Amino acid sequence: MPAIPSYPHDIWTDEVLLDPHPHYRELRELGPVVWLEAHQMYAVSRYAEARAVLGDGDTFCSGQGVGLNDVINGIGAGTTLMSDGKLHEHLRSVIGPGLTPRALRSMRDTVQRLATELVGRLVEQGSFDAVADLARALPLTVVPDLVGWPAGGREHLLDWASATFDLLGPLNSRAERAIPKAQEMMEFAARTAADGGIQPGGLGAAILDAARRGELEPPQVPPLIIDYLAPSLDTTISAISSAIWLLATHPDQWAALKADPTMIPNAFNETVRLESPIRAFSRVATTDTELAGYAVPAGARLIVIYASANRDERVFDRPDDFDVSRANAAAQLGFGFGTHGCAGQGLARLEGRAVLQALTDQVQTIELGQPVRALNNVISAWDSLPVTVQPTRRAAVANA
Amino acid sequence: MKSVIVDEDRCEGHGLCQDTAPDVFDLDDDGPVVVRYDAIPPALTRQAETGARVCPVAALRVIES
Repeated sequence: MPAIPSYPHDIWTDEVLLDPHPHYRELRELGPVVWLEAHQMYAVSRYAEARAVLGDGDTFCSGQGVGLNDVINGIGAGTTLMSDGKLHEHLRSVIGPGLTPRALRSMRDTVQRLATELVGRLVEQGSFDAVADLARALPLTVVPDLVGWPAGGREHLLDWASATFDLLGPLNSRAERAIPKAQEMMEFAARTAADGGIQPGGLGAAILDAARRGELEPPQVPPLIIDYLAPSLDTTISAISSAIWLLATHPDQWAALKADPTMIPNAFNETVRLESPIRAFSRVATTDTELAGYAVPAGARLIVIYASANRDERVFDRPDDFDVSRANAAAQLGFGFGTHGCAGQGLARLEGRAVLQALTDQVQTIELGQPVRALNNVISAWDSLPVTVQPTRRAAVANA
Repeated sequence: MKSVIVDEDRCEGHGLCQDTAPDVFDLDDDGPVVVRYDAIPPALTRQAETGARVCPVAALRVIES
């Protein structure tokens, strides 16, 4: 079998995180599996192999963690995210059903109303920060209540999640700095599992109910709380922020979407493809195996780079272009794929579509000031996106 | 002739199959996805395969029947 090519550069420096795509392109060129010397792990950066790895949980398991270091893989042990097989099926059957599009159907109108009102206020304001005032505001209005978090602690949700995602990367200084916050989150999860405080009727309460019925052992409860705590905000905030950034910087695509809002679901997929909220997670080979003709030894950790697979020129034409009508945008792997496919993607789509619907209804033009990216090991995040919007002309006429 | 196998336990109703291949997949709010044909007409085979491929939880498989 051919020798696996290797790549010398650290792909988690500040500079690379701000613009990782030239590196990802080089990795895809080098081969389907590449040894990352700086990280001592393999990279899977092409679409076909990324999908194959994600689709074969027996050979490429999640149970030894999907983060890139032992600290977070210890913290995450027992979560749905980091489990396999029958156990994973069972845990997912506890946390998943409340999040399916079917289960969320009753929320659709409420979320749309909240998005419409929020955008309405911002349009009146004229200038605002699309990250703080819109991309964060909607999920923070919707998600904590949906899960039913105790009132005390909600103010830390964003910090904890952001720290957890830093810690899901390689153990660089950014990840090390995140450890105390991630531990705080674990303590909150343990406390919440033990003394309640979780509001009845929400998704969190369903976990506690399952434990009460004996479907979960007590130690299984805190990790499932973490399953809801860590990924429910930053990811969606990233996607909504990126959608606004992309639409503001591509006026032709904004015009196309405004002319035909039935493309909103596709535009959301295209956003997640091009600006994948989660850069990468990993899997561990359970046995000596082979990937695209390359030998992968048992125990090897493979970093599946969603953000790279989603720009694979073998699958996506003009992969760096933002095209809201792209025919195969739905094939993007930004939510993962297969048995570990993001359990919250129905909620993310619901929120993202609601914001885009409200924007296409009420906004004519989006003018972008100086955008500022945030640095996070795993999330492709934004600090701020100052925008000035003009109201939709027909609305302006109606108000005149 | 090809047909589509649905893993009904896995289907969560994301609806990407229907968005992608509306002539093949039918999803309402209540049940798992419904495949409109037992045997996929040759003219729709490609659509069926594309729709199955975008299922985010890998609940759909196209097989030779």
